[in-house]
Amino acid sequence: MKIKKGFVVRVVGGESVVVPVGELSKTFHGMINLNETGAFLWNFFTEEHTIDEGVAALCGEYEVDEERARVDVEKFAEIITQNGFIE
Amino acid sequence: MDTISSEKKTIEQVLAENGAYIGPTVGVSMLPLLKTRRDTIVVKPKTERLQRLDVALYRRGDAYVLHRVLQPIEGGYIIRGDNCYSDEKVPENAVIGVLTEFFRKGKHVYCTDKRYIRYANRRIKTYKIRRFFVILKSKAKAAVKKIIGRK
Repeated sequence: MKIKKGFVVRVVGGESVVVPVGELSKTFHGMINLNETGAFLWNFFTEEHTIDEGVAALCGEYEVDEERARVDVEKFAEIITQNGFIE
Repeated sequence: MDTISSEKKTIEQVLAENGAYIGPTVGVSMLPLLKTRRDTIVVKPKTERLQRLDVALYRRGDAYVLHRVLQPIEGGYIIRGDNCYSDEKVPENAVIGVLTEFFRKGKHVYCTDKRYIRYANRRIKTYKIRRFFVILKSKAKAAVKKIIGRK
């Protein structure tokens, strides 16, 4: 799974927001707000990775058990897939 | 993750719900500061009267415009884009927000930054000389076209 090119993460007032740039900004007009975990996963999945790798990365970054991490990664993957943000 | 939404909203809605609009810029009127679809702007709702050098986000019909305040006047503002050569009188109630920060070539700049303020002042101060050269260039182009057309 890999997030499409054409998005950048901007940190404004401590909040991470994803905004489109370039050609993608012609078709995508939304603002994507991310919490800390969301921002971590967004950056992680700008490179090609599997769900399992995402779970491992989340467990390595935060003090979270694998079961909880998997729920978060799968939920993240579901949302970005539904919204057409992956390649 | 809090939300992911691709639902199209007006900027007024975004400002009211989020307290800020963060998004790409479109157009050439704020060059060389902001490049279309490359840079990101952060606009906050207008809470008080804008001042000279502030960059106002306002409604012009259905379009949103982001231009610099040259002078506050009674009931509104005299406004001009950094890359524009004509002024516009904008009523107070058309202004919905003010640029507070931006990302230029990925670099985060606050509108309170001294270097940025120096740029904004310089842009206004050099207006007449820039306009002179723009007119000169346009006349030179027209003259060349005329000469070529005669041949």
